[in-house]
Amino acid sequence: MIDGGLITLFIILLLSGGAVWIKFGPDVFWQTLLADLGFVAVLLPKVAGGVVLAVALGYVLPRERIMALAGPESGVTGLAVAMLAGAIFPGGPAVTFSLTAGLLASGADLAAGVAMVSGWVLLSANRTLIWELSFLPAHFVLVRVLLTLPIPILLGLAVRHLARRGVAAE
Amino acid sequence: MNILIGTILIWAGAVWALARVNRDHRSELRTIWQISLDTFLFMLPRLLLGMLSAGFLALLLPEDYVQRFLGESSGLTGLLIASLFGALTPGGPFVAFAIGASAIKAGATLGAITAYVTAWCIYSILRIISYELPMLGAAFTRTRLLVSLPVPILLGLLAPVVM
Repeated sequence: MIDGGLITLFIILLLSGGAVWIKFGPDVFWQTLLADLGFVAVLLPKVAGGVVLAVALGYVLPRERIMALAGPESGVTGLAVAMLAGAIFPGGPAVTFSLTAGLLASGADLAAGVAMVSGWVLLSANRTLIWELSFLPAHFVLVRVLLTLPIPILLGLAVRHLARRGVAAE
Repeated sequence: MNILIGTILIWAGAVWALARVNRDHRSELRTIWQISLDTFLFMLPRLLLGMLSAGFLALLLPEDYVQRFLGESSGLTGLLIASLFGALTPGGPFVAFAIGASAIKAGATLGAITAYVTAWCIYSILRIISYELPMLGAAFTRTRLLVSLPVPILLGLLAPVVM
């Protein structure tokens, strides 16, 4: 449970809290602390819902059938499916990159792989629902996700375009 | 109020997904609860530390600097700075999002934060070195990073138009 990330955060908290105490005095320190504790408490039910949704979503979709749709010569639909697979299937980098390696091995082109990895890094449902929605305002998250939706597909098309012109060849 | 609506929407989605699982893969329900509980317990201390840090950092961030470099008048330069910071931010999502939250409180525009978050998503250095390069190879990684280059700026420009 205790890892580098948690220790980093703890150090950041100590330093920033200490600096606020010194610069603004104990009153402001306690005021800020209590206000943020209250905010976290109000947020927790939403966080819990986000966790359940993110975990259950991975079981709703049939993985094999979806991966087959992103195979070779699947066109723009294939890019969209690859992006969605990257965004929705839960799991860390090890899982997603193996999934992508599998997709490429099954004959899909570089563009589908880029769409899948981009779908994951930009739109991972897990990270968006669990972390981003907890920290950042909901309307910000919504707009960012909507604007980002076409991006992995566009990146895939760009890769195909470059490949046709021979630029992206190894 | 905003949080209440968000909470209701998210739980509606969760109940829908659980109902689908209950219909098609009933045996997985226990696993889902277990993973959800583990994830929630993993998050709790990180969320708490991240939120409290974000609150303190927002007070400490020099507001005039944040507003000058990431605020309304910062324009394209602001988006470039935000993208660069995003690409260089190490650590997990809780670190990047906590920094984003404090920058918003200190007066950064939503466009700048969009560029920051997007660049962090695309260029997380540790993830590239430890996973992407070994598992997918240099040609793949280079191609993905190159075509993604304009994305943080592009989204940073579009975000304020929509919001």
